[in-house]
Amino acid sequence: MAGALKKLFAIMPFLFGLGFIAPLTAQIMVLREVDPPLGLSPVAFGLLFGGAWGLIANIRGRWL
Amino acid sequence: MNEHDLLLRQPGAEAPPALDRPVLPLGPDGLDRYTRRDLRREEIAIAQQFHGGAMWPYVVAAFGCFAVWLSFFPLAIMGKLNLPLACVLSCIFATGGYVTSHEAMHSNIARHGSKWRWVNEWVGKVSTIPIVFPFSMARLMHLEHHYHCNDPEKDPDYTDEAPNMWAAWYKTWYNRQPGVDGSIHHYKRILAEMGTPEAAKALKDTLILQLFFMTVLFSMAWSGYAIEAALIWWLPRHVGLSYIRFYLSWAPHHPREGKKGRYENTRIFKSRLGHVLSMCMETHLIHHLYPGIPNHRTRKAYFALKPILEKRGVDCSAL
Repeated sequence: MAGALKKLFAIMPFLFGLGFIAPLTAQIMVLREVDPPLGLSPVAFGLLFGGAWGLIANIRGRWL
Repeated sequence: MNEHDLLLRQPGAEAPPALDRPVLPLGPDGLDRYTRRDLRREEIAIAQQFHGGAMWPYVVAAFGCFAVWLSFFPLAIMGKLNLPLACVLSCIFATGGYVTSHEAMHSNIARHGSKWRWVNEWVGKVSTIPIVFPFSMARLMHLEHHYHCNDPEKDPDYTDEAPNMWAAWYKTWYNRQPGVDGSIHHYKRILAEMGTPEAAKALKDTLILQLFFMTVLFSMAWSGYAIEAALIWWLPRHVGLSYIRFYLSWAPHHPREGKKGRYENTRIFKSRLGHVLSMCMETHLIHHLYPGIPNHRTRKAYFALKPILEKRGVDCSAL
């Protein structure tokens, strides 16, 4: 259990990107009436953006 | 009796080499031990007058603010919440919650053995939920901070040290980054090293609360309430943590290096935002000297103790 939790927390920035930043991005885009590029849906764009940002944060150890 | 004293008492003995040398040895503060003892007695007598007092406002504030903050979630989902106002209030609750929790950490609301002890514990527990900082960890780390104030190895808050105000604000954010050994990451490492049952419980509580926080954020976000979750919990948590780190850790303890003594580990400073908005931290030295004095009484206690503190070498020029 402790080992599983440790692994979960080790990838938390990536999960946070998918679990929170992605839907947050999508909802802000809809609210501000911003069209996603390449004909993507707001959720698909949010997942790409949030997932990528979370992954980078996970690897670099910094969000910015 | 030292050699100096003996020479003074023997008739015909040669005068000591330095005639202006004091009869009693002086400490690094320039005071002899009898003066230090008398000052300490006087200090304790004054400090005792400021211990205790009405603590119910802390209890009302803790439970009241927590209840209001909790109500924001269903109200936001029902669309009956002014989100900007709720965000501002949540930031205040997240920040102020540390103050009420802090009193509970020192058992100032109800001591061990009191029939109201459970109130003390619950005030502590609910107050720091908005900043996702479990009371068990907060108390353990805060008491370590008191025991080892400004020790680079043992003070859990030493990572907040920065050369100036702007660097300190930056560091409040930087220390929360996933790959940086600061703030809660630093606390987790210290708890793991402590290896006591209390530390293990605090670590477990931290994991549970962090998982709960993530679950709520993810669930709300994927149910269409990401902006609401961000403005009620995610953003206020970050604002609160930065504000707390700056005013409760950096400002009263800067500069930390080499300042480990009882009267030098905390400084008296003048806050640009005033005493209340800096959460009474201008006189945080009083809290470190007497943690049983409630936060709201440290200012009056400071002015009562000021003449003694000045004799002790404390720089009281700011207030």
